[in-house]
Amino acid sequence: MKPPKFMYCDPDSVEEAVALKSRYGHDSLVLAGGQSLMPMLNMRLANPEVLIDINRVTDLQQITRDGDVLEIGAGVRQSVLETDPAVAAAVPLLGLVVPYIGHIENRHRGTVGGSLAHADAAAELPCAAVTLDATIVVQGTEGRREVPAREFFEGFMTNCCAPDELVVAVRFPVTPAAAGSAFVEHARRQGDFALAAAAAVVTLDAQGHIASAAVGVAGISGTPVRATAVQDALVGGPTTTEAIAAAAAAVGDSVNAADDMHATGTYRRHLAVTVVKRAITAAVGNAAAVERNGS
Amino acid sequence: MTTTENHSKYDSDTRAVTLRVNGREVTREVPTRQTLADFLRDDLDLVSVHLGCEHGVCGCCTVLLDGGSVRSCLMLAVQAVGHEVETVESLSADQNALHPIQEAFAEEQGLQCGFCTPAMVLRTKEILADGVERSDDEVRNEISGILCRCTGYQNIINAVQNAGRKLRCGNSGTCAKEA
Amino acid sequence: MTAVADGEANEKPAYTYIGSDRKRVEDPRLLVGRGGYIADLKMQGLTHAAILRSPVPHGRIVSIDATEALKIPGVIAVLTGEDVKKHMNPCMNFGPPTIPQFPIAVDKVRYVGEAVAAVVAEDRYIAEDGVEALVVEFEDLPAVTDPMKALEPGSAVLHDEHGTNLGYERTFEFGDISEALGRADLVVEDTLHWGRSAGMPMETSGAVARIGLNGVLEIHCNSLNFSYLQFLVATALKIPSNKLTMRPVPAGGSFGSKFTAHKVPTLAGFLALRTGRPVSYVEDRLDHLMNSDHHASDRYYDAKMGFTSEGIITGLDIDVVDDYGAYLQFGVGTHGNAFSQAVGPYTFRDLKYRLRAALTNKCQQGAYRGFGSEVHNWVLERLIDKAAQELGLLPEEIRRRNFIQPDQFPYKIPGGNLYDSGDYPKVLDTALGMIDLAYWRKEKARLREEEGRYIGIGLATTQERSVFSSTEFWFWFDEPAFPITSSPESATITIDPTGAFQLLLHCQAMWGNSPETVSTTIVAEEFGIEPNTVNVSYADTARALPGTGPGGSRYTVMVAGAVRGAARKLKKKLIDIAAHTLEVSAEDLELVDARVQVVGAPERSLGLPELAASAYFFALSLPPGMQSGLEEAYTYDHPYTTLPSADRTDLGVFYPIMGHACHIAVMEVDPDTGQTSFLDYVAVHDAGTVVNPKSLGGHVTGGAAQGLGSTLYEELAYDEEGQFKSSTFLDYLVPTANEVPPFRIGHVETPSPFTEYGIKGGGEGGRMVTPSVVSAAIDDALREYGMRVRELPVKPSEIVATVQDSLARG
Repeated sequence: MKPPKFMYCDPDSVEEAVALKSRYGHDSLVLAGGQSLMPMLNMRLANPEVLIDINRVTDLQQITRDGDVLEIGAGVRQSVLETDPAVAAAVPLLGLVVPYIGHIENRHRGTVGGSLAHADAAAELPCAAVTLDATIVVQGTEGRREVPAREFFEGFMTNCCAPDELVVAVRFPVTPAAAGSAFVEHARRQGDFALAAAAAVVTLDAQGHIASAAVGVAGISGTPVRATAVQDALVGGPTTTEAIAAAAAAVGDSVNAADDMHATGTYRRHLAVTVVKRAITAAVGNAAAVERNGS
Repeated sequence: MTTTENHSKYDSDTRAVTLRVNGREVTREVPTRQTLADFLRDDLDLVSVHLGCEHGVCGCCTVLLDGGSVRSCLMLAVQAVGHEVETVESLSADQNALHPIQEAFAEEQGLQCGFCTPAMVLRTKEILADGVERSDDEVRNEISGILCRCTGYQNIINAVQNAGRKLRCGNSGTCAKEA
Repeated sequence: MTAVADGEANEKPAYTYIGSDRKRVEDPRLLVGRGGYIADLKMQGLTHAAILRSPVPHGRIVSIDATEALKIPGVIAVLTGEDVKKHMNPCMNFGPPTIPQFPIAVDKVRYVGEAVAAVVAEDRYIAEDGVEALVVEFEDLPAVTDPMKALEPGSAVLHDEHGTNLGYERTFEFGDISEALGRADLVVEDTLHWGRSAGMPMETSGAVARIGLNGVLEIHCNSLNFSYLQFLVATALKIPSNKLTMRPVPAGGSFGSKFTAHKVPTLAGFLALRTGRPVSYVEDRLDHLMNSDHHASDRYYDAKMGFTSEGIITGLDIDVVDDYGAYLQFGVGTHGNAFSQAVGPYTFRDLKYRLRAALTNKCQQGAYRGFGSEVHNWVLERLIDKAAQELGLLPEEIRRRNFIQPDQFPYKIPGGNLYDSGDYPKVLDTALGMIDLAYWRKEKARLREEEGRYIGIGLATTQERSVFSSTEFWFWFDEPAFPITSSPESATITIDPTGAFQLLLHCQAMWGNSPETVSTTIVAEEFGIEPNTVNVSYADTARALPGTGPGGSRYTVMVAGAVRGAARKLKKKLIDIAAHTLEVSAEDLELVDARVQVVGAPERSLGLPELAASAYFFALSLPPGMQSGLEEAYTYDHPYTTLPSADRTDLGVFYPIMGHACHIAVMEVDPDTGQTSFLDYVAVHDAGTVVNPKSLGGHVTGGAAQGLGSTLYEELAYDEEGQFKSSTFLDYLVPTANEVPPFRIGHVETPSPFTEYGIKGGGEGGRMVTPSVVSAAIDDALREYGMRVRELPVKPSEIVATVQDSLARG
């Protein structure tokens, strides 16, 4: 299991990386953290003529807070999100999802942009991006454009980037201080890709009813899913176990997964409802706790 | 501007790399497709870096890159330029003068075949770098990125805890205030 | 967390080194990363091989075009089945000769992953470039994947010469099963499937071969057992056995996977012979997952067990189809291991065992910790748990009622094997003493009632057969080709001229077990020196005395016998030299703490350096006729084995050194996710005299973790078309630290009457009982939903499906 031959390019600027991407298009692959691409190269499931390594592009490794937006450069290592206090303060969900990405040895190398670009529907960061209505910033020869996360993931392991485009950052809206966030994932082993996972961010109104809810689900379809039917059922309603369970049941219709050796489609459907229910319950609990601590 | 001439700098199948390995600067000419793991094993004879799966799951090839544990099978040697790499030899390469972490593994029998051991020892060094005492369950989770097929992990967890006591409280591994 | 229950402490001989937690002598080199594994071996001009593996499950090889591959700079050679056919005999094979196997497929491929061609190149990267450049045309044949359908008439046949996919069939009946089930008050029946897993060490199999001096082919390999079977590799390579030297290399784990793993070294040897270059072939993980010599048992059972209303077992009726894959390299030896402890620790006398070995388009089977006895044990314990439920008996009670009692040993079981000794009630009581089951049973009810949580308690036992005898290789057949009865082990102790100790072991014994710790502990015990002052090395096959190697939990017992035998001879020589020098009678001398001294007058003594100097350099000071030097070897034969009867109503004694274990698990199961977790787990083992409690505890824990893997996570899966589904570590799920609970270990010591020091083997037991205890705990947690584990691994989706189906039925 050794990588095939390729032309190795390690530009130190976004512009040069984009130029290379533009020049080589489909014959090239971008090497970010390498936690998905390197196994594919070692197994020779990927055989690019040109490998564009963006690890030397230090411009991509910044985290910046600009008002209500937290911008994370594509090259930021995933493990940084676990420990960076600015991230925890601005977008608490990220700190909750990141520990589920592989193991620490993967997260020390794996990048935020790499995970998003890889577009695995069972992966945590795409799920968080969809849940939080993040914006993905891509840059091509024509310049930058911003793509809402829900449009970025187009299908199974497919994103919307043109052949000359590169993910350069992701912009997360800062989570309101009163919101409660939660993430629940089940995998065969901890650290494996999710059989199903759910992220939830909720706020409560003065009556303790659900004022807003964002729910995203991983592992149940070709892309990360925003569970809008669940959200609609929740908003304005009470936070009782029954109400949450009833709302969560609506996610079942979004499940589009065939049987594989790890799980049946039927199981994933049941698991999706379960993790959604538990994530909402935990998020509601966290929102209530925030309110208690704040008042 | 990008020109064809610019790209010619990437044409070579090999490249000179300079990095620090176990505290010493090394420079070698390497194939651009060579993994960091193979570079350490084949070019530097650091055969403590073991290849268990070469697709980033088993963790036997774990090394510390600038102090953080990474899978060296999932990096190219050329990517390590300018970085500091540590293998288990950086703790001690002398069987008769083991580092306290290695000694703790020996005392607790935190190894059987030894194949995952260098990775576990390096990971232990990283875990214990903060000097904080932790529970067995925390250690269990912290070592879960490296597979061990022999021990069932318990003696490794005991070794990490023993090593933590040694590093915090001296080589006897007895911590008065914790006892 | 080791508890030793040891009522006879006062009666036990006092040992200085045996029985205490001592650091392992293997560990310092491993801790600095110098384990000396096969991939670490470098030599001038070494080339590397990579293998093209079949993408089709069953097909005829029409053509292999190597033109492009051979054009790649650095590619040295491409070898195929055509070369193998011309220059090799089939590989060693303990199955029918009509099912031959070569290390590269000849004419046909029979499973996804079988070797089709080998590329030898200057490095492994280039070798893989060569593999990619090969063009192979296959003519697809129908894939045979279901072992039941494989046995039906009209199924495509894997081996034309064999003519059928039935590799072996025989029914053994001991006692009268019809009568036994007829008199039962309750007969429980079940259909059970134990799925494929494998030892899956972190280090794969590998070999480095080169042609050395005198044209001798040297094969360095991390496979075990080639002191014993080297001549079979020479036969496959068509060279005289004295022109092949196999050099043992420490292994990074085996668990059975490297037990007589012959195709890797045979292939490396072949490539070296054909290219004239030193060749390294080390499997990568893809090679190992889909084509290791050893996938493990894959069995389908219809089983019945009779009970009286009191819960006494009357008999066991087994009908098993074992999906052996495409070849039958070790025959059906995995079922011999089942026979060795077919009745478990229980007293029933009537047993029927029908075995059919099915050939399918899957990887061949071999050894994995337990070697097939663990599968039988799971079936036995599954049936007992079912009966306990129906009879309203607690799991500990039904087992206790059936135990063979301590005064019944040695005990000959139906089928012929003998259990040397044991105290099963004491093991059970020790386990029960380590955990408060009354508390957990109350807590289980409370948690269900108050918190809606599902707690399950499992309890199971296992026999832990150890020290196999080679008669089990052939008692299957009425007219065996080679009815071997030897399975010895050897050791050579040398005291050098300065008095330092060298210990030579005569097989590849180091795969993560503690052969050096064990053998140096024995040397230390015999001579009164520190174990870590003894240097241990391993003989290659050119110099090795008879040695069978580790496997079947035999090595600790056998090497202890060999080392003690050599020590006795060497001690006699030391005493004879001392007697001559001190001018006293040998009977008046004793060896204490590395000195030979006069009994009662220890001031009159000679140290080992003085005695060694005499032995090497002062021949005229030696007793008349004594040869110079201080080296003695000893070959220790199996301590207790007997021949099978001609009619095979008695298979003879072939696995008599019998350990025992009891595990108890408290688990929680989440019915909505199918996730399981452990609240407590105790494991008590009796492996006779314990040499090093911490090492044995480590083996129990490691084995239990593997048992957990086979039960919940690990699966070598093929789809219906024969495609292999587990080709990476993202699909073959080895448990991480997060999946393995802390096991609380206890030891009971019932010394064997037949072995040196009373040691029994203890390497495999952990894996042999976890599947039973975890299955039982899952059932217990979800009993209200009718949960019954019938297939391993049991996956979360099956647990949730059972619950949901039950709820849907109301």
